[in-house]
Amino acid sequence: MPFTRVHKNVREYEVFARKARVDSLRQVGSVVAPDDDLARAYARATYDEERWIEMVIVPKESMISLWAPGEDEP
Amino acid sequence: MRYAEWCTAAPSLEADIAAAAMGLDDLGHSRVLYGCLKELPDGESVDEGTYTNVRYLDQPWTDWSQFVAANAVLDTAFTLMIESLAGGNVELLRSRLRKMLQEERYHYLHGRSWLREAPARDAVVSAWGEALEWFGPDGGDVDQLKKAGKIALGVPELRRSLEEKLETNAPSAGIAWDRWNPITRRTSEGGIDQGTLDMLQGLAEKRYMPAGGQRVEV
Repeated sequence: MPFTRVHKNVREYEVFARKARVDSLRQVGSVVAPDDDLARAYARATYDEERWIEMVIVPKESMISLWAPGEDEP
Repeated sequence: MRYAEWCTAAPSLEADIAAAAMGLDDLGHSRVLYGCLKELPDGESVDEGTYTNVRYLDQPWTDWSQFVAANAVLDTAFTLMIESLAGGNVELLRSRLRKMLQEERYHYLHGRSWLREAPARDAVVSAWGEALEWFGPDGGDVDQLKKAGKIALGVPELRRSLEEKLETNAPSAGIAWDRWNPITRRTSEGGIDQGTLDMLQGLAEKRYMPAGGQRVEV
């Protein structure tokens, strides 16, 4: 069965986590997956080396950019 | 162990990492289960010198579809049995196996998604048949344990739950129960090779010990 190294139809998900309730969620990385379930599994496998009390993933396309590097704040 | 063999050969970097992580999870689960065996009332009868596995694990997988089928079907079958043990009336298992189920949830998500992504028909048929062999025959030891309340799911419930989890009916494959061995829980002879067994038991790593070094049992 032929496979490429990357799925054909994928989304990028940003991974956020925190170690304590007083902490804010912070971005710890990202994963690429074809669906939410596989993204969950990948995020947990890739970023579970620390004792997070919370981890969430967000499709990158759902993030609303206000401005980006090199752009002036409107 | 078979998962770990794919940690540099899976179709994506994320799948590589997941293969390694799930392999580590399952090694940890084996340690927990062996620990439970020693503490159970009849644990003294456990022969640590014996090892057995489903036929699917006898040889390294040569195709990603075999990984997908093992991950989706056999790992889910294993999880259902752990759920059954954790839901029975044996307190040791009720308390000890919960974390295992949390980790197995991600194995399930990984296997189910990959099964949708890359239907592995032949491998699924093979893996499913071996899962059914591992569950055992109707009215066998598993059903007797269910009757005694020690586990929560009997063979019919395990089979049905596997179908529900994988959102498909079991492939129709007759199992030669007259050849089924209740110790190995399989109908065929065979097993993994000695080299793989040595690696599983940590014996293969002995060659890295300094001269005169002693193996430390933990």
